[in-house]
Amino acid sequence: MKKLLIHILIIAGLFFVIDRTAGLILKQLYSQSNATDEYKIGYANAETTDDILFMGSSRCLHHFVPSVFKEAYGMTCFNAADWGIKNIYYHYGLLGNILSRYTPKVIVFEIHPCDYLDTPYSGTERAGSLAPFCGMSNECDEMLRISGNYWPYKLSTVYRYTGSLPALVFGRWGGMDRSLKGWKPLDGQLDTIGLKAEEFPFPVHQEKLQLLERFIQECQAKGIRLSFIVSPMYICTKQDIYKEPCDLAKQYNIPFFDYFRDPQFMGHAELFYDYGHLNREGATIFSKKVSNDLKDFIKQ
Amino acid sequence: MVVNSLTFLWFFLFVMVVYYLCQTKKEIQNVFLLACSYWFYSQVDIKMTILLVILTLVFWLLGKGIYHFMEKEDEQKAGLMTSLGVTIGIGALFYFKYLNFFAESIASFASFIGFHMSWTALHLVVPIGLSFFTFKLMSYVLDIHHGKILPEGNIVSFANYIAFFPTILSGPIDRPKPFLMQANVARLFKPDQLMTGFRRVLWGMFLKMCIADRLDIYVSAVWNNYEHHSAISILFASLLYPLQMYADFGGYSEMAIGVALMLGFKVAENFKRPFFVLDIAGYWSRWHMTLTSWLTDYVFLPLNIKFRDWGVYGTIFAIMLNMTFIGLWHGANWTFLLFGIYHGLWYIPLMVGGGFFKKRKIKVNAHGWPKQEYVWKMIGIYLVVTFGLMLFHSATIGEFWHICERIATHWRGGLFTDLSAMVNGAICLTALIYVDIQEEWFPKYQLPLPHQINRWRWELTVAVEIVAILLFGVFDNNQFIYFQF
Repeated sequence: MKKLLIHILIIAGLFFVIDRTAGLILKQLYSQSNATDEYKIGYANAETTDDILFMGSSRCLHHFVPSVFKEAYGMTCFNAADWGIKNIYYHYGLLGNILSRYTPKVIVFEIHPCDYLDTPYSGTERAGSLAPFCGMSNECDEMLRISGNYWPYKLSTVYRYTGSLPALVFGRWGGMDRSLKGWKPLDGQLDTIGLKAEEFPFPVHQEKLQLLERFIQECQAKGIRLSFIVSPMYICTKQDIYKEPCDLAKQYNIPFFDYFRDPQFMGHAELFYDYGHLNREGATIFSKKVSNDLKDFIKQ
Repeated sequence: MVVNSLTFLWFFLFVMVVYYLCQTKKEIQNVFLLACSYWFYSQVDIKMTILLVILTLVFWLLGKGIYHFMEKEDEQKAGLMTSLGVTIGIGALFYFKYLNFFAESIASFASFIGFHMSWTALHLVVPIGLSFFTFKLMSYVLDIHHGKILPEGNIVSFANYIAFFPTILSGPIDRPKPFLMQANVARLFKPDQLMTGFRRVLWGMFLKMCIADRLDIYVSAVWNNYEHHSAISILFASLLYPLQMYADFGGYSEMAIGVALMLGFKVAENFKRPFFVLDIAGYWSRWHMTLTSWLTDYVFLPLNIKFRDWGVYGTIFAIMLNMTFIGLWHGANWTFLLFGIYHGLWYIPLMVGGGFFKKRKIKVNAHGWPKQEYVWKMIGIYLVVTFGLMLFHSATIGEFWHICERIATHWRGGLFTDLSAMVNGAICLTALIYVDIQEEWFPKYQLPLPHQINRWRWELTVAVEIVAILLFGVFDNNQFIYFQF
């Protein structure tokens, strides 16, 4: 028994040393990576100090051009959105991490049905992207707990970067252009053959909706001007899929900018990369339009 | 509950503590082990646990009955009881796995030739591990009848042999004699055995989580949407699939063997570097070894003896039937049947050329590496296996045909790349290939047991392996491919 205990203790000790050392190296690589996920998530959580932040999923990532807003308002701006159907579990943890460092003046939050509906393809696992920032804020840790991986992340630093070694190593030489301040333009034009509107036949997810409400409350408690926004789609469902966030916006008296069925964009294939994402030209036109519409709200 | 999950870890830690606390009393140890095995299996399906208990009891009594009549030299009744056991085993397999398939096939054939027949598919839940534990049950009665073993007097030991939780879901398909011998002595706490078992569990986890599940990301992305991918992508995914299967099932087997070893049981090996071979017979002697040896002993050899008058044609007939059974063992599907026949066909040149019963060894050069001509042959066998597994992976023959058609016609378009899956997979595959080459051709450099070397080096290796699993693994609990069989 004594022999086995010695074995276990030595293994545990060695594991601790290797894990923490490798974890430090991975953390360093993560902060220097230009791969889309690592750069976007790393910079948004741990570095940005910009006045205006855009938050949301891939539609936000591709649609809001920070340089347009900077030019319009004279305020610094960062697009903190990320792709991969990120939902409120991720956004709420991200907000916590940002607020643990500084308080932005404005947050424009692109709402997606994944943020409040029980979508089978976007659940608590999305909070896993916050793993490298475990311990940074209570909100982040709470989301990691909900995702069920808080203790493994606490015990192993390496585990926080699981599967991302190639992106960390090769990400130094490509991926995101940092001068675009988080915007990822899409080049190309939509092929409209066989397109159908995306439907969301899912019930409301109470935990997600509560987190969305807490998101609003935290922003208001910190004096951040928050607005909800919905970007245009090429083809739209007839469902009233934004009812819940719209009700929340009314309840908390925050503006809700709805461009979902905006005729300037809907049906204009030349402005879209795919049915839900604007291309570079579409995003620039959209950003100019939004910057004009949000002027009063931003300059309050 | 999968072996590489946190739930299993807590379960196993509890089992280990209690199990070795009662190490001096083998009866208590066995009863506790059996209770744990049944609890483990009941987590899959409680109703099927009842079926497992009933089958265990029936076969234990059959074993006693067969021996009773053998002692009385009543060969007819002993044979009858053995046949009854085999019929029950095959019957259970047939009912749960094949009834719908055969009935539907017969109905379709009847309609095809003009008779009206219909079959409403029964909604049957196939008990997980059925193909594995029914083979164990059948080998028990057959071995008693062949005089290889005596019937087990202790029902608890016998039930442990059937329900042993490390192996019940996906094998290895252990034989009764070695297991029961171990079950009938107390398993004492041996740190070295425990650590060796732990190393094998770790290696199995590495194979499953870092290689099989990583490759699965790429292979599934291509195969599940093959109609959108180029021929190059489909071929590349197909070439990765044998390695994925090897890492998946080999990984599970390593974990099962490691967990069993930690409980003091040495169970049969299931894989032995299956791609370092020169012909299809070599491949099957190293791939899913416990299934191959089971079918060799209980199907091929009796058939070969029965048809020996036919000469080489008798052997061909026996091997074709044997390989068809191997194919069908995986499930009720025409693709599995064809998979078996396809492998059987590759045996024919060996038999005609007289190479079937010869063990062909890979010759090495002065540095210990295999000679070039043998490397080409190994690559050839890998390609043969790959084609077979394309059939195996397809849901229907139609799908297989469409995939082949797409490969033949869609050469435009580049290789689908998933940098993360490909690079992570490549790093871990390098580790697997390195270890396999070392064990195959440079065994003296193998990592020795903990007591044989400097303590720090052994422990350092274990710590590095754990870190590697955490860094490269996929942790969203993919099921093992062989659980479905």
